[in-house]
Parts: sequence; structure tokens; C-alpha cells
Amino acid sequence: MEINVFQAVLLGLFACLASMPGLGGTSIGNYTLGRPLVAGLVVGIILGDVTLGIIVGMAIQVVYIALVTPGGTVSADVRAACYIGIPLAMIAIKGNPALAADPSGADAAALATTLGATCGTLGAILFYGTATVNLAWQAMGWKWLEKGDTHKLYLVDMVLPWISHILCSFIPTFVIVYFGGDMVTTLLNSLPMDGIPMKTLFAVGSLLPCVGIAILLKQVITKATDFLPFFFGFTLAAVMGCNLIACSAIACFFALIKFELSKIESKLEKVGTTGAITASVDDDEEEEDI
Amino acid sequence: MADNTVEQKGGRKVSKKALAKSFHNWYYGNLTCFSQEHMQTFGYLVSMLPIVEDLYDDKDDQQKALTTYSAFFNTEPQIGSMIVGVTVGLEEARANGEAIDDDTINGIRAGLMGPLAGIGDSLIVGTLIPILLGIGMGLSEGGSPLGAIFYIVVWNLLAYFGMRFAYYRGYKLGGDAVEALVGPDATALREAIVLVGTMVIGAVAATWVSISTALTLPGGGTLQGTFDGIYPKLLPLIFTVFCWWLMSKKKVSPIVTMLILLAIAFVGACVGFFGAATIATAA
Repeated sequence: MEINVFQAVLLGLFACLASMPGLGGTSIGNYTLGRPLVAGLVVGIILGDVTLGIIVGMAIQVVYIALVTPGGTVSADVRAACYIGIPLAMIAIKGNPALAADPSGADAAALATTLGATCGTLGAILFYGTATVNLAWQAMGWKWLEKGDTHKLYLVDMVLPWISHILCSFIPTFVIVYFGGDMVTTLLNSLPMDGIPMKTLFAVGSLLPCVGIAILLKQVITKATDFLPFFFGFTLAAVMGCNLIACSAIACFFALIKFELSKIESKLEKVGTTGAITASVDDDEEEEDI
Repeated sequence: MADNTVEQKGGRKVSKKALAKSFHNWYYGNLTCFSQEHMQTFGYLVSMLPIVEDLYDDKDDQQKALTTYSAFFNTEPQIGSMIVGVTVGLEEARANGEAIDDDTINGIRAGLMGPLAGIGDSLIVGTLIPILLGIGMGLSEGGSPLGAIFYIVVWNLLAYFGMRFAYYRGYKLGGDAVEALVGPDATALREAIVLVGTMVIGAVAATWVSISTALTLPGGGTLQGTFDGIYPKLLPLIFTVFCWWLMSKKKVSPIVTMLILLAIAFVGACVGFFGAATIATAA
């Protein structure tokens, strides 16, 4: 699989739109185009193989299922994982005879995960680069605001950051996908499939999604019993064979019960504080019991 | 732009057009000019710009009002649109002569951005998006574009109309709008939604994390066969809990966690615990 200049330009453009402080805006850029599942579709269309794009995108998506960037610190950059990692992984899979024979297999997914996560991690430098260049536009913005040149703020917020992105998103993406594909393919094909380096690569690819899941768990689990819903959902899928939609439906049902219980709880608390209501509720209940 | 101003008997009211422009400036531009120093400040400034132009005829007043919003701002931008709405309401009151100074507005902004970032990060980024992605991946199994399209459509409709709703609620109700987000009923609802998210994540882990061992046991069986007998997908579960333990109890960063996994993979490959899955099964 060869990437031509036009395709590399398109990938570079999407990298500008999709990154965390991206020019597609937060909802469309970061949270839509910057999700590897969606990027898999976009890259698949650009490179002319939607099926492989989606397969690779999904493999990387699990690692970045909950990419929260609290306080502007990132451990991974979505533009690099999506628009550098996915094309490179697609080229590598197509260029390797053993992997190309079974692109939807576990090995191809593991390779995609490893490449995507590597690009995502190294790409954090692009995130900090963009943010640093933006400081220059913001400095200009303060001057314009002081002078009362308020309309120039649009320039600062929406136009000038394109320069940051041409430097930190477009050029790196273009160069790496245009020139890096051959290198990745040659490197991978020079390693024997059953050697230690390849086995390590596949193994780490299968392990990395655990980090993505664990990042999410870190947010929602504060005490040991919080693990139970996670185990429950895990068991539904692993043992009972429920798919994601079925699991969501079951989860919603339990959430409803939990919600109703909490409402009753808060009602009881209120009732406890006001004696008059307590009495009347008690009366009602006694009558029902009889 | 001053001709947009709607002069009413009781005072000034922000025009519908200015509100829409302000909302869209926030919807698109909240993070486009991000820096570590001023994260969403410029996004905030451009979304207040149509409002101050609408409320104040005098250029100097516009600039003075706008300067209020040059203080640092950062929150979860989707749910945070409510804060922008609240300050639009405050600015409107100030333009009508109410005693609201810069400190009041910035105090309210700073007081709201933390809690709403917490709610938004856990509810939207940590729950809603993973659920939608999980369902999307289910629909895209085998390489179908359906799941990606599902995610694009559903997420963007929810994000756009949700942000719009939050913005206008903030404008109309002011502080009461936020009260509705942190009150007991809202907390109960939020906990219920997080429960859905946690369960769905369990299912995502079981469905898409596949770790298996290639080790054969003396006597013919495979170690994987033994694991499957204990609990299917035992290894993904163990490694997920291990990563959680590293990051949450040992305060290890995600990048270092990944490097630890790399070391485990290398050692595992050397001792034959991990093999290339398809090759192992083909042989």
C-alpha cells in the first residue's frame, strides 16, 4: 500500500481538525474525528480500504476508550494515534504477508494497537508543541484587547491557531505517513514472525487495552464494592455472551433500580426531619398493612 | 453591530441573534486556541464578544466588559456551556445597572468551573462517550462502517443539542440551573448513569481485550484451557485490575504503566507465556 501526496495532505488536514485543542472544535474535532473508531472510517476512506481502517481503528480505540485530559495534561495525543498510527498500521498490515492474510485476526489487531499507542504516546509532544505556539497568538490577543481591537479576538481564537497546527499537526503527520510507511513495513518484515521481538510486539498489543479500561476504572471506582458493576458487565459479556447493546439494556435496568432506591432514600431522609409527615406516612402504611 | 441592540422599556435584553452567535462561538471555539497558560480563556472571550457588543453601544464599555472575561478559565466544555449562559445573564443584569462587579462574575465563574468539570469529565468523557463507543464498536465488528456512523450521528446530536440546552438554561435560570445539576436528584441520576457506564465498560473489556497464553502444560493440555475452565477471559480481567491497581493505588502514570506492560510482554515472550496468537493456533 502506497500513500500518495494527496492522501498524505488529507491525513495532515484531519490531524489539524482532530487534535485535543483541535480546529474542528471540541465536539466535532476532538470527540468525533479524534476517536480512533471514527478516524478508522476517515482514514479507511482516504486510503481506499474502509474495512481495514475500521478494524485498525477499533483495535486502537479500546486503548483510548476514556481519554480524559484533566487540567490539560495528556498522556496521549489523539491526532497522532488516529492520523499517524492508523495509516501506519494499515500499511504495515498490508505489507506483511502473514498479517495481510488475516487482517481481522488477533495479531493484526495487536500490531495496530502497539503502533497506535506508540504514536499516541510519542505524539504528546505535538500536543505541548501546539499549546506552546498558541501562546504567541494569545500574547497578541491581549494587546489587541487592551487597544480595544475586540474583533481581532476571532483571529486569535479561530484563525491564527491554524499556523500552530500546520507546524505541529500537518507537517509531522504528512512527513511521517508519506515517508514512514516503507520504513515500518521494511522493519516489520525483517523480523521473523516467531522471534522474540514480534512476539513481544503482539503480546504488548494485546495487553495495552487494559490501560485504557483501567484509566476509566480509576475514575469511577473509589471503594472495593464499586468493582462489582464492572465484574457484572464483564461476566455478562464474557460468560453469558451478551453483546454491547444487550449489556447496555441490562445496565440501564439496574441503573433505574438504583435511581429509584436513591430517590426513596432521600425522601425518607426528608420525612425523618419533619414529624408531621412522618406521622401521616406511618398511618398510611399501617392501614395498608391491615 | 450596535444596531442589533434591542432597546426595551425596562432595560436591555440580549437579542436572540447575539445569543445564538455567542453559543456557536463557544460550541466551536472553546478550545481552538488552547495553551497551558490560558486554556479556554479565548474561547470564553469570543463567546462573550457578541453579547457585550449587543448590550453596550459604546466601544469603551464593550472593551471594559469584555476584559472581565480575560481571567483564566477551564472546564469541561460541553457541560461548561452552562457557565457561559449564566454569565450572559449576569452581564445582561449588569448592563441594566444592577450592582454586579468584575469580582462577582469571576467569583461565580471560578466557583462553577471546578464542579462542572468534575461532573462533565465523569459523566460525558468517562461515561457517555465510552458507552457510545462501546455500542459503536459492537456495530462495527468485522470492519463495518455502521458503528462509526452511529457514533458520529448520536454523539454529535447529543453534544450539540445538549450544549445548547445547557447554555440557554444557564442564561434563563442563572445559578438555579447549576443547582439542578448538583442537587440530590441530579446526584442520584448521575450515580445511576455512572453505574451504566461501569457495567458497559466491563462488557467492553470482556469483548475487546483478548489476552491469551501459548503455554502448554506438561501432560498435553494448555494453560489457556485451564484458565478458560476457571473463568473465561480470566487474563484480560487480571491485567485490567493490575493496571488499575498500578495507576490508582501505586500512582503510576499511564505511560509508565504501558512500559511495565512492555516489560511483562518481553519477559512473557521469552519464557513462552505469550506467543503470536494465530501462529500458535495454526502450528
